[in-house]
Amino acid sequence: MILAANWSHIWMVTLLGFCMVLVLLVVLIYFLRLFGVIMKPGAKSAKAVDIPRLPESEPVAAPAAGQDDEGTMAAVAMALHLYYHGVHDEEPTKITLKRTDRRYSPWNSKLYGMNNLIR
Amino acid sequence: MGDILEFFQSMGFMNIAWQQAAMLLISFFLLYLAIHKKYEPLLLLPIAFGMLLTNLPGAGMFHSDLWSAFLDENNANYHSYGAIMKEGGLLDILYIGVKAGVYPCLIFVGVGAMTDFGPLIANPKSLLLGAAAQVGIFLTFLGANALGFTEAQAGSIGIIGGADGPTSIFLTSKLAPELLGPIAIAAYSYMALVPVIQPPIMKALTTKSERCIKMKQLRAVSKTEKIIFPVVITTVVALILPDAAPLIGCLMLGNLMKECGVVERLSLTAQNDLMNIVVIFLGLSVGATATASSFLNIQTIMILVMGIIAFSCGTAGGILLAKLMNVFSREKINPLIGSAGVSAVPMAARVSQAVGQEENPGNFLLMHAMGPNVAGVIGSAVAAGILLTMLG
Repeated sequence: MILAANWSHIWMVTLLGFCMVLVLLVVLIYFLRLFGVIMKPGAKSAKAVDIPRLPESEPVAAPAAGQDDEGTMAAVAMALHLYYHGVHDEEPTKITLKRTDRRYSPWNSKLYGMNNLIR
Repeated sequence: MGDILEFFQSMGFMNIAWQQAAMLLISFFLLYLAIHKKYEPLLLLPIAFGMLLTNLPGAGMFHSDLWSAFLDENNANYHSYGAIMKEGGLLDILYIGVKAGVYPCLIFVGVGAMTDFGPLIANPKSLLLGAAAQVGIFLTFLGANALGFTEAQAGSIGIIGGADGPTSIFLTSKLAPELLGPIAIAAYSYMALVPVIQPPIMKALTTKSERCIKMKQLRAVSKTEKIIFPVVITTVVALILPDAAPLIGCLMLGNLMKECGVVERLSLTAQNDLMNIVVIFLGLSVGATATASSFLNIQTIMILVMGIIAFSCGTAGGILLAKLMNVFSREKINPLIGSAGVSAVPMAARVSQAVGQEENPGNFLLMHAMGPNVAGVIGSAVAAGILLTMLG
């Protein structure tokens, strides 16, 4: 039975088949890598953003070691966003006292309550 | 009196053969495994019940002779679905969906709609582990040929090593439909036994320090990447290997519906209603093929043994490649995630996580293991396409 089998074809299917699986998935790896490079945040918009230049008289301080982390970049990006979009986060500086209205009920009585929460 | 005698003679009890009784006992055992032990109950239960129905004497729900005629070129009913519709029982009609390769593809739509390919996109090297785990398929193909199976049958037995039920059913229904029952049962049983089969192999092939390796957190994957991914994969794979297009295409269609966010109703239907309906049809009709004549023979035992060898080789292949990658790579990979390269989503990834946490409770490998795990789904579908092209 074993001798009757076409072993050259069987070996060909085994080796070629497995190699094809490997090759096809390696091709997909390169596609995904390419994909990752193209979709990398900022890769496509680097030219589109018009960065205003500072006057040459004002030197820009180099970031100190450990400052160029993601948190710093997020803070800088947020500051730029607020500056260029005219958004400010100043409070109106008016203090108001609003009376909280609590109708009496045995269920919300301070006498029976565990905590004096303002609702 | 004659009528009463005739009624008694028509009863199944009077006509049951010992082989059918044995098959009924096997179906009861599988029902026990599904219900009490919870071994892949969603599929094992309908499969076991289909097996029960098909082995009831006189019920006439499935006719294996009709399907033999369907495959016989010299028969008048060769490839005649009309004859099946006219003379077949309920399970014959449901089986048309398996024969035409419809059910496995529809299940893949649902699987795609439930799968997050983010970990794979974030770490494309995972695809290599998914490919290495397919070594079990091809080694078992060799072994099954040595045991005297035909090449087509050997290919169908080998695909059990991919640990992917729908793919196994799809390929077997095309290459060796006579082995569908035992192969489907072997595939789903071993998938359910992943937490039992894999850990000893994983521990035997890795050292303690390797199992403790902590991996770098995966990068964030944008929504756009997730939307483009299924389109790119379908196009590339189908252009290189057209026979893999039905499985990969359906998998990626489901995934695109999930990720694009504009067809939420379709995505939810694919994940829930469609999936559940097809699982019932698929399970019942696959179980129906496990008739006494096709199941109670030495071939079934050989298939079960070859299946576990395929599965173990696949697990070992993924782990060994991960170790090899560590030799050449600066960023170390925990080799435990290699075992998830066999599909069995998400069970195999959970096993990687569990074995990793046995060594170091602070090590979270689940998301890293999901990469090779979903790569295994793609890899097994590709392997099925290759076997179909070469042996079909």
